Amino acid sequence: MSVVDSVRQALGDGLLAVDEGFGPRTLDVVPELWVEALEAARAAGAVFFDLLTAYDLGDEGFAVVAHVATQDVAEHVLVRTRVGREHPSLATATGVYAGASWHERETHEMFGIGFEGNPRLEPLLLSAAAPQAPLRKDSVLVARAARPWPGEKDPSDSGGRSRRRRALPPGVPDDWPVSSETSES
Amino acid sequence: MSPAQRPPRTRGVIALVESSCTVCMLCVRECPDWCIEIDSHVETTPATEPRGRDRSANVLDRFAIDFALCMYCGICIEVCPFDALHWSPVSDYSGPTPTDLVHERDRLARWEATVPDEPALDPAARPDPDPVRRSPG
Repeated sequence: MSVVDSVRQALGDGLLAVDEGFGPRTLDVVPELWVEALEAARAAGAVFFDLLTAYDLGDEGFAVVAHVATQDVAEHVLVRTRVGREHPSLATATGVYAGASWHERETHEMFGIGFEGNPRLEPLLLSAAAPQAPLRKDSVLVARAARPWPGEKDPSDSGGRSRRRRALPPGVPDDWPVSSETSES
Repeated sequence: MSPAQRPPRTRGVIALVESSCTVCMLCVRECPDWCIEIDSHVETTPATEPRGRDRSANVLDRFAIDFALCMYCGICIEVCPFDALHWSPVSDYSGPTPTDLVHERDRLARWEATVPDEPALDPAARPDPDPVRRSPG
């Protein structure tokens, strides 16, 4: 039985969708059956745990994704679930894949997502002074807020004349405290 | 593998052709890492003919790339409208401190001599509309 069929059989309605997409198939599962989904994948031969990570969906919370594959990598799937923005938490996958512990530590550190049952969620990569959950989209990137954007200079405006339109750095949200050499004017 | 043996368009270091730079700021503004800094001033040439107009041009004062920040995406090279930036395959330019990775214009200009010729066109390619120096196929 394929990995996808195994998860479908084990979860029933708990498997919300299968995204064929362009890459590996993505199985969207309900968070309550996260561990069961991984167990079913492993039981069908997906013994190779590649990675577990998360991404920020804004108001919809966070998506947590695990990539697992059969040993010959003939079939590999992404198992994905969603957790809410307030106190996001999910059951640990370390009972199914011991190697997930490191990834859960990192995901906890970067996104502030808890993994119930993982006893080792202490900081892994960041210093104590680093901002909390820096990969959340509402986390201000200090390097972008503290440094003036070098592209703000206008080469034709060396005399300090008022310019028609202030150039703004692309990709930096408007509500960030953007530093600027001319912001006091 | 020596730099000369590396494949075409190897991303080693970025070379600046100062005479081609018009201080348009496109590379600075497109750089995702904010690793390019340009300073310039405007120089005005008085009109040479009666009722002519003064000409003003941007003159480059500083062009620096911080290779400690650079992620070698090549967007600056792609976006430059006058081909003032080029990939050089040279990669051994590390230094004892991070500030040694900030290459000012004089150092960036020296890399120009190491920029290889464009690779030869494929046999079935259409004729080159804008011939550049190319290495023999």
